[in-house]
Amino acid sequence: MFRTGSRRGHDQGPAPEALRLVKVTRTYGSDDSAVTALDGVTLGLGRGTFTAVMGPSGSGKSTLLHCAAGLDRPDSGIVRIDGTELTGGGEAELTKFRRGRIGFVFQQYNLLETLTVAQNTVLPLKLAGQRVDRRRAKEVLTSVGLGDRLGHRPDQLSGGQRQRVAIARALVTEPRVIFADEPTGALDTRSARDVLRLLQQAVRVHGRTVVMVTHDPVAASYADSVLFLADGRLAGRMDAPTPDAVAERLAHLGDDVAMGV
Amino acid sequence: MLAMRSIRHRPGRFLATLLSAFLGAAIIMTFNSMHDTAGQQGVDSTSSETLSTAAGVVGGYGTLLVFFAVASTLTVNVRQRAAELELLRCSGATPAQLKRMVVGEAVVVALVGAAMAIGPAMLGGRALLEMFQDSGQVAESVPYSFGTIAYVTGIDITLLASAGAAFLAVRRATRGQERRGGARRFLAYGALLVGTVSVASTFAFSASDAALMAPAAYGAILLSVGFAMLAPRLLEGVLNRLPLNGASGWLAVRNLRERAGQLAGILMSLILFTAVATATLTMQAVESDTVEALGITKSVDDKNLETLNFTVVGIIVVFVCVMLVNSLYAATSYRVREFGQQRLAGATPGQVLGTVGVEGLVLTVTGVLFGALAALAGIIPFTVVRSDGVLPGEVYGIGAAVVAVAAAVTLGTSLLTARRVLRVPAVGAVAVAS
Repeated sequence: MFRTGSRRGHDQGPAPEALRLVKVTRTYGSDDSAVTALDGVTLGLGRGTFTAVMGPSGSGKSTLLHCAAGLDRPDSGIVRIDGTELTGGGEAELTKFRRGRIGFVFQQYNLLETLTVAQNTVLPLKLAGQRVDRRRAKEVLTSVGLGDRLGHRPDQLSGGQRQRVAIARALVTEPRVIFADEPTGALDTRSARDVLRLLQQAVRVHGRTVVMVTHDPVAASYADSVLFLADGRLAGRMDAPTPDAVAERLAHLGDDVAMGV
Repeated sequence: MLAMRSIRHRPGRFLATLLSAFLGAAIIMTFNSMHDTAGQQGVDSTSSETLSTAAGVVGGYGTLLVFFAVASTLTVNVRQRAAELELLRCSGATPAQLKRMVVGEAVVVALVGAAMAIGPAMLGGRALLEMFQDSGQVAESVPYSFGTIAYVTGIDITLLASAGAAFLAVRRATRGQERRGGARRFLAYGALLVGTVSVASTFAFSASDAALMAPAAYGAILLSVGFAMLAPRLLEGVLNRLPLNGASGWLAVRNLRERAGQLAGILMSLILFTAVATATLTMQAVESDTVEALGITKSVDDKNLETLNFTVVGIIVVFVCVMLVNSLYAATSYRVREFGQQRLAGATPGQVLGTVGVEGLVLTVTGVLFGALAALAGIIPFTVVRSDGVLPGEVYGIGAAVVAVAAAVTLGTSLLTARRVLRVPAVGAVAVAS
């Protein structure tokens, strides 16, 4: 498979990009009532990085995530995941493209109620027609602290536990990029911290690339860097973020845009 | 108060209930207007008897069917509004108020349905009378009448059935998942036992007995009712014996197992439909063949029986089809969020449709299997006694047609609905219901 994790430390040159967006634009609605959610966004994220995307409501965070993850199609621009360009095509094609390349973690978990924890975890493998390694599933679930809950159903778990199942599900296919949409939005602070640490681990230990949309400065501080978004455009970047610095920057985001920076 | 408002704002949601109330009321009124017609002055006794029998038999069936149809649509309706009912409860509605709201809604919808049914029922009744007159079962001179009995029974039965069904549905919903399997199982086994006895008693009759068809037909129907009540457990049994591989099959089996209880209604309709249609039509065919072979012309009684058989089957087919379409459509369109989740987990639209298809197929096979079993249990004794054969040749053709209709309705409805539901983008589908 791919061993980005172990190689990362030795590579001196620029790491191959896990995600590349070039002039991505997405408009909703038609003519009069058209809203530009993304306005020519260009960005590149290296392998093995943990990036938070922040911005006020309506800044285009979710649209950015959906376009980058192939859940939504941009009106124009290029999206490249792990060096492969996301091209048009039907939903079936996009789904096949996402399998194995992309993992998802959502605010609302999106676990299937009819399946147990273990079954939910291996579902992406089943759907991709791969052989299901029970040992591997158990291993991943143990690593998120749910090794003793394999036979439970989602409605028997707390929010934090459900989100950890979702993370296990996202990890099990060994995707190049994991997209997380407000993963801690519905969790208490302690569960949120567990979830964020797991995402961090996915990057540091397993060498995955994580892109996380959030509005919480504390959550963002777990990332290696933060990208700020305002009115559908990139409005700055912060490396090694702290909660206070992020909050401060966020508070003045509007000013920056108004000044045209 | 709440009831009126909730109907005014969501008329679409009550369409299914309205349709079953409308159809039910129409059938009840159509046949009960035969009572009115028979009760007029100057109607000869043969005509009057034919009309009363038709009204009595089909009217009874009709009441049962209305109850089942309205109950099944209302149960689905109430289940899908669990969130809304929960919200109302949280904002201070007592269980009694909720009950009043749901029952009130059902009553209003039933009234509208019954009122709408009056016109079509008059036309239907007139057509029915003409049919009887054309075949010589009723004298040409008998005029059509749509009177008190038709109005009163039609409206009352529809109202009562709706209110009762709504009451049961909301009680089940507000009480939570409390299992009362004991009584149900007792009834199911009771129906199976009585059905078997009834079928077996066919052998006690002689070939020329006029009532020969009755024990076999009722036995088959009772057996199918018994199977229908055991539907969730039968489904479980079938699932355990299925070697289904592939992602779609894997998901389908797990979904069916989880939702076995909810799918019982659909399975019930399928079993009843297969059993009643196959048994009645085949027995009628055997009867006609035998009469023809003996070279006798059919008596008025024979003709009455034939007409009744065909009408009953016709009504049941239409009703069950409507119910199946109704409940499958509701159940499938309700799954928009689940389908979205499957797609986000990496399922292509084709795989989601595949899952729905396998589910529909398993349901059809299970329903048809047990329905056919019940039907055969009635057909074989009847054929043995009446015509010295064992299995009449007609059974294959009739069976195939019944299976084709069942499969087409089940698979067609669920796949078409699922395809429509899949047009919503996955992310939107997940957000809609959350």
